[in-house]
Amino acid sequence: MEHEEMSLFPGLSRRDFLKSCGALAGLIGVSGPMAVPRVAQALEQMAKRPAIVWSCFQECLGCSVNLLQSRKPAPANLILQQISLNYHEAIMAPAGSQAKKSFHETVDSKDFYYVVEGGIATGIPDACTIGGMTSMEMCKDAYQKAKATIAIGTCACYGGIQAAAPNPSGSKGVTDFLKEDAGISNPTVINSPRCPGNADDTVAILLYAIVKGKLPELDSLGRPKFLFGQLVHDNCERRGHFDAGEFVEKFGDEGSDNGWCLYKVGCKGPVAYAPCPKTRWNANNGWPVSAGGPCIGCSEPDFWDKQSPFYEKAPGIKLPGDITPTQIGVGLGALTAVGIGAHFVGQAATGRLFKGAPVEGMEDKGSEEGGK
Amino acid sequence: MTKVVIDPITRIEGHLRITCVVENGKVTDAWNTATMFRGFEIFMKGRDPKGIWQFAQRICGVCPTPHAFNSVRAVENAMGMKTVPDSVRLIRNMMEATQLGYDHILWFYHLNGFDYVNVPNTLNAKPGTPGLKAVQDQVKAVVDSGQLGPFANMYWDHPGYKLPADLDLEITAHYLQALEIQQRACDASAVLGGRYPMINNYVPGGVTQMPSIEDIEFYISQMGVVKDFIDTVMVPDLLAIAPYYLDLASYGQGVGNFLSWGVLDEKSQDPYDRLFPRGGIFDGKLALEKVDLSEARKYTKTSWYDDGVGGGKHPLEVGQEPINFTKMPPIEGDALPAGKYDWTQAVRYGKENRAMEVGPLAQVLIAYLAGRPEAKKLVNDTLAAVGHAGDPTVLLSNLGRVAARVIKAKINSDNAIRWANELLANIGSGETKIYEELDFSKDGTGESGWDAPRGALAHYAKIKDSKIDTYAAVPPSNWNLSPRDDNGKRGPVEEALVGTPVLDPEKPLEILRTVHTFDP
Repeated sequence: MEHEEMSLFPGLSRRDFLKSCGALAGLIGVSGPMAVPRVAQALEQMAKRPAIVWSCFQECLGCSVNLLQSRKPAPANLILQQISLNYHEAIMAPAGSQAKKSFHETVDSKDFYYVVEGGIATGIPDACTIGGMTSMEMCKDAYQKAKATIAIGTCACYGGIQAAAPNPSGSKGVTDFLKEDAGISNPTVINSPRCPGNADDTVAILLYAIVKGKLPELDSLGRPKFLFGQLVHDNCERRGHFDAGEFVEKFGDEGSDNGWCLYKVGCKGPVAYAPCPKTRWNANNGWPVSAGGPCIGCSEPDFWDKQSPFYEKAPGIKLPGDITPTQIGVGLGALTAVGIGAHFVGQAATGRLFKGAPVEGMEDKGSEEGGK
Repeated sequence: MTKVVIDPITRIEGHLRITCVVENGKVTDAWNTATMFRGFEIFMKGRDPKGIWQFAQRICGVCPTPHAFNSVRAVENAMGMKTVPDSVRLIRNMMEATQLGYDHILWFYHLNGFDYVNVPNTLNAKPGTPGLKAVQDQVKAVVDSGQLGPFANMYWDHPGYKLPADLDLEITAHYLQALEIQQRACDASAVLGGRYPMINNYVPGGVTQMPSIEDIEFYISQMGVVKDFIDTVMVPDLLAIAPYYLDLASYGQGVGNFLSWGVLDEKSQDPYDRLFPRGGIFDGKLALEKVDLSEARKYTKTSWYDDGVGGGKHPLEVGQEPINFTKMPPIEGDALPAGKYDWTQAVRYGKENRAMEVGPLAQVLIAYLAGRPEAKKLVNDTLAAVGHAGDPTVLLSNLGRVAARVIKAKINSDNAIRWANELLANIGSGETKIYEELDFSKDGTGESGWDAPRGALAHYAKIKDSKIDTYAAVPPSNWNLSPRDDNGKRGPVEEALVGTPVLDPEKPLEILRTVHTFDP
C-alpha cells in the first residue's frame, strides 16, 4: 500500500536518532566532534529509559500540544526510545484508578523526572483535582520524590493566565506554591516559561538533566540561562528596522508589508527574555513576530498583567529618533529604558547561541570549537 | 447497584470525572464533573478589547484558533464591523483548516485509538512489510524492557478489544505515523500564524499581515500531505475497524438535539452558507432548523457558581463568580453527586431548554440535511459500508460520532487548499486588504458563533468605555458536558451514558468509549 512507502517512522531509524542527538547536543551546549556520539551513547547506555511523570494542573494543554510538535527528537522516538512517559493524562492509555496506579507506582519508586504543566490552585484547592487529589497534594508529593522537577510553560512557572488579576482561584507557579503553601523553604525547580511551553526547550532541559546528570545554570527567575539569557529584541530579525527608526504604525501599512519593527504596535521583545527569534517554533517554521504580530512577552512572570495591553507600546523605551548613522552602525545604546541595561550588550553583538559557542556556566565552555 | 467512578478521564483536554450507576450490566444514571476552574470571564473583565483574543485562545490549547476567531469576531461585531475583507476571510479559513486537520487526526488515533486498538496484541501479528515489522520490533522492545510507559495498566485483557492482531499492528503503526502528519498541519499554521498552538496573526479588524507567496505554497504542500494521509490512511482505517465494532451503533444515542454555529466561511460570509453550515436538529427528527446565538441559556443550580441571579440567563448575564467552594464529593462510598457537582455550568437552548449535542456528528448531519454534496456522498458511503444504506438515524450513536469526525476531517482537508488558491487569486487581482482599523471609542455588545473541532463555540463580549465590561465563552464541552439543569434534566454526555453496557465495572472500557466519542 502506498502509505507504507512514505517516510513513516521518523523515530525509528538510527540515522534520525543520531540526527536528533546532534540537535540536542547543540541545544544543551555539548560541543565538539564527539558531541553526537556522547549524547547518543549516554542515552543508549542507560539501563532504563528515564521515567517521566507529567502533571497537567490548571492548564489548557497547549504545552503538551507543543510537545507533540517536537522534532529533536520526534515524538514517536521520544516516547518509544528515549523516555518512559509513565504518566501524562492526555497521552496515557489507562484512566481512572488505573491511571492513578501509574502515578503512584512511578512517584513512589522515586526514580523519575517530574514535569509540571499548568498552575497550582491554592486559593480554592478543589479548583483543580485529579482522581480526588488536589493539585497541591499531587505536586508536593511528586516534587519531594522526583530526581528533578521542571515547570513547563508560564502557568507552571509563575501561575500564568489563571493567575491574571484578580486570580480567582489563587493559582501559583510550582516554586511559589512549594515555598508559600507546601513549607519547602528552598525548592529547586527548573522553569521553562513561554505560552505555550516550547517542545524543544522541554526536551533540551530534560535531556540536559539526564545526559549531564546535573541541572543547568538558572537565572534569578529559575530559567536556564542557555535558553533565556537574551532579550527577544536583541536577536530579532527586525532589529535593524528598530535601529533605523522604521516602524509598523498599523497592520497592513507599508511597514507591515516590508517587515518593519513592531514596537509601536505593542511588541514586548525589548522587555522579554526568550530564545524565540533564534530557535523559532514548529521546526523553524515561524515565531510570533514572523507572523507580523507583536511579541506579547509570554516568557515573563505575570505577563498577562504586566505586559498588557498587548497592542500598546511598552512604556519607558526610548526610540532611536535622532541618532546618527554612526550610532546606528554600533546598533546599541539606543535603548535606555530601565530593565534594558548593559546586560545584553555583549551578547547582542555576537548572536551566537546554540552554534557551538561557549555558553556561560556550561562544563564544555571553551572546549574544542568553542570560542570560534 | 454498583457505583463506578472514573477520575481522571484520560486522553482528553482538561480534567473530568464521570460517575455512573451500573445495574444489570448497563449504566442507568450518570453525572459528569469538570474538576478544574480557572475563571476566564472574571479576569477578562476590564481588559483592552484589542488584545482580549490573546486571553481567549488560552481557554483551550488544543483548539486555540477557533477561540481566537470568535474573540476577534465578537469584538468586531460589537464595534459594528459586519464582514471582513475577503482575504481576511481566506486567511482565517486557512488557519482554521490547519486546526481541524491536526485536531481530528489527533483525536482519531491518539485520544480515541486506545479504546479500540490493543497495543500489546500487536506482538501476535505477522507483519507483512518491513515498516510494520519495525513497528512491531519497537513495541516488543518496549514490552521486553518492562517499561510500558503510557501503555501500562490499561485493560488490555478486556474482551471488548476485537481487532485481529494484524490490524492492531497496522493501526498502531498509523498512530506513530499520525504523530508526524499532525505536525504538518501545525507547521502550516506556524508559517502563517507564527507558532502552534497560540497563533499571533489575528487582530480585531483583520490579520496582521498578508502571507508571502512562498508561505502560501508551503501551506499548500503541507495540507496536501495531510489530505493524502486522511484519504489513504485515516478513512481506510475507519472502514477497516468499523466491522469489528458495529455494536457502537447500539449505544451512546444521547439527547437527539444537535447544534452547530457553522464553520469555514464562503464568499458571502453568511453562516448558513458555510462549508459546515449553521443549523439545529431537534428531538431526533432529521430536519434542519435555524438557530440563534442569543438562545443559549445558562443554569447554575447544579454547578459551583452563584445561582442567586436565577436560571435561564444569557451567557453575559449569568453568575460568573464561583461560590464559596468547600469540597468535591468523595470517590469512594455509595454517595452519588447531588446538589452542586460541577465546575461547568449547564447550557440549554431556547425556551424549551433543550440540551444540545455539539461536535462533528452535529456538523456533518447538518451539512447532510442542508444538501451539501460532499457530506451527502460521504455519509451515504459510510452508511453503505456499515450495512445501513439509506438510514442516517443509525449515526445517532457512538458509531456516528466516530465516523463523523473522519468524514469531517476529509471534507476539511479537501477544501483547505481551495482557500489557499483563492487567496493566491486575490493577491493576483490586487484584493489584498487585510486590516480595517476599528473605532473603540463607542460602546457595544457583540457575539460570534464559529465551531471548534469538538463542536459549537460562541463568544459574547460587552465593551464599555473602550474596555471589556463582560465577556462570556460557551465552548463545545460546555454544551456536551453540561450538568443537570435547574429542572433536573441531564446533559448530553450524561444522557448518552445511560444505556451504555458495562461488562466489567472494574474495567469500564465501554464508558470510556462513550465519553471519548464526544472528544471532551
